[in-house]
Amino acid sequence: MIPYPDRMKEATDPGKAPDKPEALAGVRVLEYCPGHFGGMVAASMLGEFGAEVIKVEPPGGDPARAYTPEGMTIGGTGLLFLSEARNRRFVTLSLESEEGKAVFRRLAKASDVIVASEGAARMEELGIGYTALSAENPGLVFLALSTYGSFGPGANRRVKDSDILCQALSGTPHIVGEPEGQFPPKPHEAPTRLGNWHGWFVQGLWGAFGVLAALNFRAGTGKGQFVDVSGAEGLMKFADYNITWMHTAGKARQRVGNFDPAVFPYTYIRCRDGHTFMAAYNDEAFESLMNIIGQPELVRDSRFSTPASRVRIENEKALLSILEEWSGNLTADEILRAVEDYTSKKSGPGAAVVTGRVNRPLETLAEENWRERGCFARVDDSTYGDLLLAAPPWKMSGTPARIKSVCRPAGADNREVYRGLLGLSPAEVDSLSSRGTI
Amino acid sequence: MNDFRRFADAAFSLSGISARPEALSGVRVVELATRIFGPATTDYLGEFGAEVIKVELPLRGDLMRYVAPEGYFWKDVSPAFLPLNRNKLHVAIDVRMPEGKELFTKLAEKSDVVLENLRAGTMDEWGIGYLQLKERNPRLIYAANSGFGQWGPYSRGRASYDATAQAVSGFSAITGFPDQPPLKAGFWVGDYTGALFSAISILAALFARRRTGEGQMIDVSQAETMIRSLDWTWLYSGLTGRDRRRAGNRDVLLPPSGIYRCADGFIAISARDGGERAALAKTLSADLHGNDEDLTPERVDDFASVRTSAEILRLSEEAGFSAAPVTGGREQYHDPHLRARGTVWELDDPLYGRIDEFGPAPKLSESPGRIKWTAKPVGYHNEKVFGDLLGMSSGEIEDLAGKKVIGKWADVPGARPPKGEQPNKASAKAVTE
Repeated sequence: MIPYPDRMKEATDPGKAPDKPEALAGVRVLEYCPGHFGGMVAASMLGEFGAEVIKVEPPGGDPARAYTPEGMTIGGTGLLFLSEARNRRFVTLSLESEEGKAVFRRLAKASDVIVASEGAARMEELGIGYTALSAENPGLVFLALSTYGSFGPGANRRVKDSDILCQALSGTPHIVGEPEGQFPPKPHEAPTRLGNWHGWFVQGLWGAFGVLAALNFRAGTGKGQFVDVSGAEGLMKFADYNITWMHTAGKARQRVGNFDPAVFPYTYIRCRDGHTFMAAYNDEAFESLMNIIGQPELVRDSRFSTPASRVRIENEKALLSILEEWSGNLTADEILRAVEDYTSKKSGPGAAVVTGRVNRPLETLAEENWRERGCFARVDDSTYGDLLLAAPPWKMSGTPARIKSVCRPAGADNREVYRGLLGLSPAEVDSLSSRGTI
Repeated sequence: MNDFRRFADAAFSLSGISARPEALSGVRVVELATRIFGPATTDYLGEFGAEVIKVELPLRGDLMRYVAPEGYFWKDVSPAFLPLNRNKLHVAIDVRMPEGKELFTKLAEKSDVVLENLRAGTMDEWGIGYLQLKERNPRLIYAANSGFGQWGPYSRGRASYDATAQAVSGFSAITGFPDQPPLKAGFWVGDYTGALFSAISILAALFARRRTGEGQMIDVSQAETMIRSLDWTWLYSGLTGRDRRRAGNRDVLLPPSGIYRCADGFIAISARDGGERAALAKTLSADLHGNDEDLTPERVDDFASVRTSAEILRLSEEAGFSAAPVTGGREQYHDPHLRARGTVWELDDPLYGRIDEFGPAPKLSESPGRIKWTAKPVGYHNEKVFGDLLGMSSGEIEDLAGKKVIGKWADVPGARPPKGEQPNKASAKAVTE
């Protein structure tokens, strides 16, 4: 009998993806999201599953090509754009002229999905909004991404959508970070943003989810629809029990640093080579952990003897010091081994002692596990050089996601799309080009 | 009012939603999962009309039932359990017993999706893993959510929670302030991010199945979904050999965007393009009566610290840059905008009465998501599912209950119905019809 992990690897190894069919083959996505990362993520999710994505950039290139750390660019394009610009065709189009809008409407008519970030009402004014485009293409799924959403009493607030706005309004910074200590508060004693663009990223994920739900509905009914995603609401949805907590207890959660108001221990602890995560919050797991650290008597200590007593903040702090007295002399790997040695002899709730090193990115990259799982892709591109990219995370047996191509220069696919897809003549393409429309 | 406003007012009215079609109606999902990563995945599908059957062990059920903020149970249920388990049918089966395994397999035969988040290989050992179930139902989509995947060096012996994924992926190393230790996000972001990735892949697999007629296996590691989420982190390390550093509340890609302390709280100030930067610069220099238009975070700090959030919002609108207050659960709960959008959903639950929760995130104009009921006690829908769906007689159901193959709630907070509301079969059925 072949062991379970080997059978699973055989079935879902992403290295075999190129030989398998794609889930969204035949779906065409038009991405019009200048300067907007959430739209790129939404389109990438669909593109990784095989949708054909056409990214429309303003002539001269998408403003998002300029977003980059430390001024680093390759071939004029920044790292943010390069990291997400996979599986697309790149066309340019100015929507400032009637001629440009007419070309956009033709592209929209030939598409199944539009991903837009310019504001639904604004798109409508330009004559390329949902009501106009769906009249010509009733099966169209139109995804609109914004900070506040496209309807509701606050929808007309004048902002340009960004990650920081989505994060601020999501309620997550409010519960991330250190609480204020002595006055005056230190700079880090503040609501804290997530380090990556998680607000925009999650907005894109919800966008892809909404589009896929809508495509499922269309397959049964033939009807397209408008999908409205607020980035603030997308990340808000991840803010645990914020709303039920207000409704049932009348309380809003506050920042507690690396502690947790509902489960403990569930925290980062200092160890000899950095920090590691440590969780053991149900009674059985807590007993396991106390055995592992050699203090079994603490299970009966009134500060720690029940889940409710363990989540009192003063008890969380006391327990953290006890844990760090033990962990301070051990490396994260030694702690992991100690936990595994103990829990491998257990099953059920008593085995729920969970740990894992707080990795710096280079530490993650150095671990063989992720490489074997195909989590990273190294692509040597003739234009942009050697690119290290995060691969699609899913391992699927039937229709796996994959990276087929990387970033291309703005307008690199103009001819192919405008002539091949829209059937324009070479003269028409040249004339659009000479007037700066493409 | 333009065409879009007219369209949106009609399409997104909350009052008519219960009569509208659902995007995923006809999709049946069986969940064997605990805590957050698995249950959130099926919650997302259930909000859009999938019928989700949540299988728990009899008596205590999903251990998330006992994760209670500050130890508080409301009407004998944890407020942290509710938002993960709406629109679900709750059954309790001991799948470790042969008859329980057979019962679970019968449910899987009648379903489109099985979703589990047990340790890798557990379902297979129990004889109800993907390879066994697909023999009985080749159209089955089987999604296994886990910390480190179903295969690979870390897949054996390593358990995982949200913060494991936050830690090992590099996410925490880039979150927090440069002069402070890495920061754990104070919410279970590693679970929800993984759950949403998982739900997306299930929808993609359902779409593919319309063409291929075949189901498939989906392996989702929450750590790997967090790795995928870290935008330019990997490209930067690949090119420079260096680690991306923590930047506190500054958005280093769009400076001086960030979160700033203001006179009465905190505010996000955002300048995405040249126009917004110029508007912000103009506002700052007017403030200093000078000509220096150097847009540094320190300048924005000085500007924000002496003004209220309302004042900064007004100035941003006048000048043409963007700003938004840092809000929390209290502001959200009372926000008329979020209520009008159904993002704060006002639910009348048949068992618990009025309970407001997070509503669906994407708003669909033709087949909108909705919250129909909230989580229920262990085994609450046994009769409905085993009787109506599997066609078992009440005698057969009682027989299995007598053998403890199926069961109901333990008499403890978290598992049992609210006091004074011990529902009988009839009321349990009324909940879902």
